Amino acid sequence: MKNNINTVILFLIRLILGVTFVYAGYHKIADPAGFAKILYGYALFPGFSINILAITVPFIEFVSGFCLIFNFLPRPALLQINVLLSGFILIIGFNLLRGHQFDCGCFVFSSQNQTAANINLLIRDILFLLSGIYMWMKIKKGVL
Amino acid sequence: MTLKEIKGTFFLVFFAVTTAFFYNHFSPAGIALFGQWQTSSGVVNAISKADSPDVSIEINNPETIWQIIQKKERMILDVRPLEFYEEGHLPGALSFPLIEFDNVIGRLLEMTDQHSPLLIYCSGFECMDSHNFATNLKDMGFADVRVYPGGFRQWQEMGYNIEKNEK
Repeated sequence: MKNNINTVILFLIRLILGVTFVYAGYHKIADPAGFAKILYGYALFPGFSINILAITVPFIEFVSGFCLIFNFLPRPALLQINVLLSGFILIIGFNLLRGHQFDCGCFVFSSQNQTAANINLLIRDILFLLSGIYMWMKIKKGVL
Repeated sequence: MTLKEIKGTFFLVFFAVTTAFFYNHFSPAGIALFGQWQTSSGVVNAISKADSPDVSIEINNPETIWQIIQKKERMILDVRPLEFYEEGHLPGALSFPLIEFDNVIGRLLEMTDQHSPLLIYCSGFECMDSHNFATNLKDMGFADVRVYPGGFRQWQEMGYNIEKNEK
């Protein structure tokens, strides 16, 4: 019974993380110029790296999400997702701490001030990361 | 992590990155490998195949803009939304929000003609609205349209005069 519940929970986490990353990657792939401007707005990346990141990161998101949904190389895919989430948390947290206003560009590009929304985003990413770490540990144990 | 998992991770990253560059190269929305992110060179942008600003129409010098305003050499158009204009704008600027282009263009045609010198600005180096407005005007036959890429933010930061609450 307990194993069944665990299996259902892990399936849901896998689905939620996978779909979230596929969707987040997809809309950035559709508008790399918009995403590049979002990266510039973070005021953290050197100019030469912005376009390279705008081109590659969405595909890493998309591929890892896709692999997680279809259970293809799930641990490598999950590792990438957890690394990306850790990076997002550091970037968002750092900018919130220094009071730098930015648009995360996570799902919808916007020109509005989103400081309050980014606090929610930080909390959401932390929850996602905790779910990802939980799943990582369970996959290691062979539950999934 | 096992060796198999490390190999799997490298495989996924390699596949994603290779696909990304391949897709970007052929996509109509693709961008250059290196964008224009120096404000000293004008409006910042990724240099996209689909939508890149015409930097040749930019006047990227607030001192020159100040002289233009003092000598009234050009009609100044603020293309930000009206509420931002009302909070403050460049001296003598008139509000022509890009988001209401179809509604405001008639008023502009009443006030000027296609040979009048115009200067357009929006919020700053990250804003493409002034370039988009300029493109629309050039498509309509306006011959002398320039853009101030630093926009209201740079103007304010440099400590130049600002007018408020005038439509």
